[in-house]
Amino acid sequence: MDPPPDCCAGPKGDNLYHWIATLFGPPGTPYHGGIYFLDITFPSDYPFKPPKVVFTTRIYHCNVDSNGNLSMEMLKDSWSPALTITKLLLAIRSIFTRPDPYNPLVPSIARLYLEDKAKHDELASEWTLRFAK
Amino acid sequence: MELQHHQSPMDVFRPKKRSNVVCRIFDRQISSSASGTSVRYTRRFYENVVPDYTIYEVECPDQIYRKFTDDGQYLICFSRNHQDLIVYRPTWLSYSCKEDCNTNDLPPKAKKFESFFSQLYCVSLASSNDLICKDFFLYMGSNQFGIFATSTAQIHDALPVGGAVQGVPSIEKITFHLLRLEDGVVLDQKSFQNDFINLAHNMGVFLYDDLLAIVSLRYQTIHILQIRDSGNLVDVRSIGTFCREDDVLFLTSNTQTDLHQGQPSSDYCFLSGIKQRLLSFIFRGIWNEESDQSSRVQLLKKKFYFHFQDYVDLIIWKVQFLDRHHLLIKFGSVDGVVSRNVDHHRSFFAVYNMETTEIVAFYQNSADELYLLFEQFGDHFHATSRNSLYLNFTSSHSNNMHAREQLRSNKNKASSSSASSQFVKKVLASLPFSCQSESPSPYFDQSLFKFDEKSISPMDRHRPSPDQHIKFCLRRKPKVLKFKMKPGPEAGSTDNRTKRISSFLFHPFLPLALSIQQSMSLQPSVLNIHFRK
Repeated sequence: MDPPPDCCAGPKGDNLYHWIATLFGPPGTPYHGGIYFLDITFPSDYPFKPPKVVFTTRIYHCNVDSNGNLSMEMLKDSWSPALTITKLLLAIRSIFTRPDPYNPLVPSIARLYLEDKAKHDELASEWTLRFAK
Repeated sequence: MELQHHQSPMDVFRPKKRSNVVCRIFDRQISSSASGTSVRYTRRFYENVVPDYTIYEVECPDQIYRKFTDDGQYLICFSRNHQDLIVYRPTWLSYSCKEDCNTNDLPPKAKKFESFFSQLYCVSLASSNDLICKDFFLYMGSNQFGIFATSTAQIHDALPVGGAVQGVPSIEKITFHLLRLEDGVVLDQKSFQNDFINLAHNMGVFLYDDLLAIVSLRYQTIHILQIRDSGNLVDVRSIGTFCREDDVLFLTSNTQTDLHQGQPSSDYCFLSGIKQRLLSFIFRGIWNEESDQSSRVQLLKKKFYFHFQDYVDLIIWKVQFLDRHHLLIKFGSVDGVVSRNVDHHRSFFAVYNMETTEIVAFYQNSADELYLLFEQFGDHFHATSRNSLYLNFTSSHSNNMHAREQLRSNKNKASSSSASSQFVKKVLASLPFSCQSESPSPYFDQSLFKFDEKSISPMDRHRPSPDQHIKFCLRRKPKVLKFKMKPGPEAGSTDNRTKRISSFLFHPFLPLALSIQQSMSLQPSVLNIHFRK
């Protein structure tokens, strides 16, 4: 199955339980121009438990905490063993275009996103320029 | 730069160029060199003026003779106990004698170190627990500033605390001293604590104009400092964890409000700034190699993700400036830094723009592409400061056809593909260049003289002491032996068992050189002065 455009993933070395994913910041978002590397760790009881996804590239995003941990519904309660890595990548990609400020890991970013999106986008693109190039 | 072989059409009508010095002076009055070659033309006088007279075993202070500065103004020495810096001014030998002045021998009084060098001062740089690093010295010609380093002892099994790289030794304190060489006044100092900087042969530090790049191997940071005319060392930026000078400020001012949530976990960290740039450059390159999405994924899996951890584990080994904005950075594994034999280790070269914080190019150390660039444009890798006149004439395979022929013939010998890749690795191992490690002396100009590079070279290195004289022959016809020099006592050594090493210090433009022979035992070194009588 083909991965979605603008992202890619593969096993790190010969360890099938540890993958690296790479996402291009989608055009039209403040993340455009950045390249994001993520660690995907699969638990031993995968696919019955969701993998853990961590950003290794700094990002200004309300669903990513200051250590890079990503939180999204799909990786928690709405995980299903039928979900593939391709679907996972698509879901991660969608948080660039549609952050979820109602379930934030960083409330201050979520607040700024809801109250002053222009300011939020300006900061986010400054982060992209500094840390994700 | 092959202009020295350019002949003007007028040459046909001229008598053959004569190499006698009187004839040359006469020729100089009536003819001019081809345009753009005047310096090369003038330098041919060095064929007539050579250091062909040796005073053996000169009475001299027992100290470490380090280097002539590249403008020839100073001779840098260190005391045997690595505590003091002693600076001399080279003076041309002059003496007077009442009678017997017509004999060929110099009077004994003239055969002294003091007849050639006058001491300017002696200053103490080291304190009670640190020592001067005798292999480190950089000279900033424009201001006549010298940079020296002192350090405490090295700890080999240092614990990797606070983000330090495991496996890299530690030094409790390394201090750089900026001195005004005119009078020996210490203008500024900069210290690094519990860090490791490779000071041998200036490897870890590079000076370009007024910019100084210092590589902290232990904390994987390139510190860029500026030397102000006022004599201050100013931090400009550090490249490593972050790329821009205000990244830390930006980060703390933006995340302050969220610091209360959870401590940063210790087992996890972001890619460093320079690694992020490097990985995204590599990723983009492989991504663009293939346009079909599914074969692209296969390629990325094989060439990128499979080696991802190896790329993440790369550490900065060495750095040089290419110009004021670009750095050539060599990356390799931790093992390669500690072990002496670097040949077996894979390494990579990256060109990094400090201003835009972008990686401009990335090569493996066996890349033919980089080799070809180096072969054709070698002088662009020899980044010398703008105002260092003599350094422009240091022979390289890019400005000298004899050096190029030598390189090409070595390359042709390595014809098989594995030998060829070994050859490329060997040649590229000289990159990045060590700062100010080559003598600009005209006697190393390969368009003037031919010498055996196995026994002597402009590189500032100790070598096993040769048993024979080192010969310098004319490169052009009549290709005769012009002068020879030998370190150590005139009669040779009686004891052949002890290993001896020697080093040569050439004055950048005078026909004057020192050779120093040391034995491994505690005997004082033997200093010979080679000059034109």
